[in-house]
This record gives sequence, structure tokens and C-alpha cells, in this order.
Amino acid sequence: MVDEEEIIRVAELMKIDLEEHGEHVSRVKKMLEYFDILDQIDLSSEEITAQQKSLNELRKDEFIPNDKKLIESLKNFREHYVRAPKMN
Amino acid sequence: MNLNTSILKYIEDVKSGTFTVEEFTTETLQRIKDVDSDVHAYLSLNDSAINDAKLIDQKISSGEKIGQCYGFPISIKDNICITGTKTTCASKILENFIAPYTATVINRLQNEDVVITGKTNLDEFAMGLTTEFSAFGPTKNPWNLDYVPGGSSGGSAASVAANECLASLGSDTGGSVRNPASFCSVVGLKPTYGLISRYGLISYANSIEQIGPMTKTVKDSAFLLNVIAGQDANDDTTIDNNNVDYLENIEDGIEGKKIGIIKEMTTSEGLSQEVSTATKDAICDFESLGASCEDVTLPTIPYTVAAYYTITSTEAGSNLARYDNIRYGYELESEGYEYNSYISKSRAKFGPEVTRRIILGGFVPSAGHAGKYFLKALKVKSKLISEINKAFEKFDYLISPTAPVQPFKFGEKIDDPVTLMLLDYNTVTANLTGKPAISVPYRVINGLPIGMQIMANSLKEKSLFQSAYALESKTNLPEVPL
Repeated sequence: MVDEEEIIRVAELMKIDLEEHGEHVSRVKKMLEYFDILDQIDLSSEEITAQQKSLNELRKDEFIPNDKKLIESLKNFREHYVRAPKMN
Repeated sequence: MNLNTSILKYIEDVKSGTFTVEEFTTETLQRIKDVDSDVHAYLSLNDSAINDAKLIDQKISSGEKIGQCYGFPISIKDNICITGTKTTCASKILENFIAPYTATVINRLQNEDVVITGKTNLDEFAMGLTTEFSAFGPTKNPWNLDYVPGGSSGGSAASVAANECLASLGSDTGGSVRNPASFCSVVGLKPTYGLISRYGLISYANSIEQIGPMTKTVKDSAFLLNVIAGQDANDDTTIDNNNVDYLENIEDGIEGKKIGIIKEMTTSEGLSQEVSTATKDAICDFESLGASCEDVTLPTIPYTVAAYYTITSTEAGSNLARYDNIRYGYELESEGYEYNSYISKSRAKFGPEVTRRIILGGFVPSAGHAGKYFLKALKVKSKLISEINKAFEKFDYLISPTAPVQPFKFGEKIDDPVTLMLLDYNTVTANLTGKPAISVPYRVINGLPIGMQIMANSLKEKSLFQSAYALESKTNLPEVPL
């Protein structure tokens, strides 16, 4: 059984404002309860497979100049710096 | 002028001078003006569409080299970037985001001279199955405006079905091309993972999502795949398709082919009577085309929806962390906020489904819970891949209905997250295994469409199109009543 407090804690870590989104906790809980179905399948002999790529398949690490000033498409910037709120 | 035409017929007509690109584009834009206030397939229109059409006409009349698309009108799901234009993902958080670069698929289309009509509606960040989660209001199903068009690429499917363009590009993470294709009676392809570049597609769940064409006919789907498929240096997951021509031999038929009917998807609890009957008819059609059909069981399928949501939420939680209102976002004065509370405050603009997935995406891979959810989901994925590979040793194709139900009314399922998740039951297998799958319009019952899904082994799109074309040739569907 999933504890609602744990969901609230995770939501805070994911920077979700629960004052605005508090009603979602019970629905997330419902979804997690559905995921319990994963306990019913025997996966003891399964390995996690990953996609592999050898180094020679990667593209060359080349510098491609970009003449656009991408920073200017941001809302808050000053010269070469992004403006962000203060860290306490 | 008949706007309910295929890309291939359109190209023939432009070549023979039946109409000009400008004439067809003008007519299409007029159609959008006439019906889109009801359908709401589009989020934004391309203001230079007529100019683009004129330029292509000039190329044709001056005998200049012309791309193979001859200016057919195409719409693009609004999570694919085009430089200098809005790409909103149907989210308030990207409401005014102007893409600083262009997706590879768009470059490829433009190199072959398409006319882009505009950007289409979707569930916010492509999370949903009805477009009801779009921050800018839902798209309506052109077959009946009281019903959902499917999703997440619902705007794309509706725009094609309502003759507001000849084709569209959608993206498919768990059925987001095939489900609306089925609900709106268009052809929708989810190709082999890596066949189409994702560069410029705003990420939701990178490890399984693919861009896919949505068209009126199977041949058009093959034509469009010819244009957009293939390796791309900007997307390292793309694979070499050796420039296969997907249109070539598409009419070869399926005589002697072996078809597996996926038992878990044709006997599932949520399957409606109409869809079940249509599936039986489709099996008869396949047999009459010379294929042999038999049941096949993939025992892992009942666990795939849970695995799918676990994996995609995890990836979404990570991908959506960038929407912090510092790099992407909207006007919100930062004075008076502490760093973290500022980000939380700005992220309150996410809609309900995206918010839930972000919370889930933090929960299921977290240190205390990964063993119960995320790692198990990855193992389910591995097990499913082994099962399906084994099935493809015996069968050429695996079939099922695309969705277990027909389109339903707005609001009918929105309050039940588990019922909504289970609508993906038949489609997520292709995403989790990376296999190609296509939805072919098959029936219209009680005025609402039903699509059939055909899956093939990796990179067997050519063969997949042959079966889809064969099935399509057995259908005789009514025109959309709009």
C-alpha cells in the first residue's frame, strides 16, 4: 500500500506545487495501485536489456558554429548570463 | 475541387495541370476556415502557406527541379519544432515558445516541397488519449463532434479525416499515432524504433517514442515514410534503412503469409462487442486474401500497460524537469521568490495529466521504490521482447484491433485514470518492443470508426505495408459526414 505522505514528499521533490495540485495525490495513488499488477509476474529469470552502440558508430565530435544568440530567446538574461531567482 | 484525395492522386493531378498547388492550398485553407471552428484540429496556421505554394508553382512552370511532394498540404503535430514558429506542446508552459531550430523530419519534407498548413492539437506534452488534456481545448472527432478523436495526436488525425490537409505527422509513444488514426478512420504508422529521426521532437519518453505519418491511404503512408525515414547525424538512435522504397511492390499481396491473432488483445475484458465483431471480419478478410491465421499468446501483455506507464513517467519526469521557467517558460516576475518555490510556482501551469505523470515519474524510479516499479517494468520489457521475437519466428504479422473500443463521448472516461490507461492496452506492445505497427481504417459502425492494427518484425515496414494495403483493398468505407 502506498502512503499518501510519500507521494506528497515526492511531488515536492519534483517541484510540483501541491497547493495548486493537491487533488492529484489520490489519482496518483490509484495509478500506483494499478501498477501492483507488476508483482504478479515472474521475472526472476529476466535481465534488463540495454541498447548498445559501439564508439565507431558515433558521429565525429566536431564543432559546428551557431551564429544565433540562443540566449536572447530566453525571457531573463543579461549579457551572457541567465537570470534566476535567489538561492537561499 | 475534391479535397478528399490521396497524396498520390494529388501529385498526378498537379503534374497533369488539373489544378495548381496554389489553387489546392487556397481551397484547403478555406476548408480549414469553414470547419476548424468546430473540429479544432489546429493550434496555429502557417501564414506563408499560400506563398510557399506559389513558389512551388513557379518551380513547376519554370521547369526547375521539383521535390517529389509537389506541394501537398501537410499538418504537423505541435510537439515538432519548426524554426521561428510556435511549438506549444498544447501546454501553457510553452504557450509562447518559438522554436530556435527545425526538426529533421520537417527539413526532409521541405526539401521535397511540401506546403505546411499549420500545427495540430494534442494532449499536453503528448500525454493522453483523447486531446481532452490539451491546455487549449480538445479536438472534436470529425465523424461525430460529440466524440473524442483519440490521442495524443488527435489534432493530426482529425485534420486528415476532415480534409483540412492530405497528411499529418504525429508522434507515437504508446499508441498516440495509431489510436487517433483508428478513432478518426485514417492510416497511422508507428515505425520501427530508430527508423525516423526524433531530432526536433520535444521529448516525452525518448527510449520508445517515434514520429509517424498519418494519411488517408496506405500507399500515402509508404510514400511519406520514403521521404522522412533514414539515418540522421543529429539523432544517434536512428538506423540505416538502406533506402528501401516502401511503395515498391506494395500491391504484392499476402498470399501464403502467416498471421498470428494476439489472444490477449482479442479476448481482453475491455474489448467492445463491435470491435470484437470487426476483428473477426478482418480475420476472415485476411484468410480470403490467402493468409493463414491462428491464435498466438503473448503472456506478458497483461503487464505491459503498467510497465509502459512506469517507464514513460520516469522518462517524462526527467525530460520535463527543464520546464523551470528559467530556460523555458512564461512571464513570471522572479523577485520575492526563493529559487525552488519560484520553480514550483511556475510549474503550476502544467495541466492535470502532466502533473500526475511528473509525480509518478519521481516516485517509481526513486531509491525506495525502483525495485518494485521501474526495474520490474524494464524486465517486463525484456520479457515481452523475447516473447514477440519468438512469435515472429513463426508469424509474418501479428494482428489485433488498434483500440479495444470505438470513440467515446467527451468527459466519459476522463475521471478514471485506470480506464484511460487501459485504452493503450493493444498499442504499447509495439512501443515497448520497438516493432513497427500500423492502424488501418477497417469499419464504420454506428457512425464511428474502427481500425485494425498489424505489427511486423523490426524494419519489415515494406512487408507491413503490403498487408495493410491488402486489408485496405477489402474495405469500402463511407466518407466523413462533415
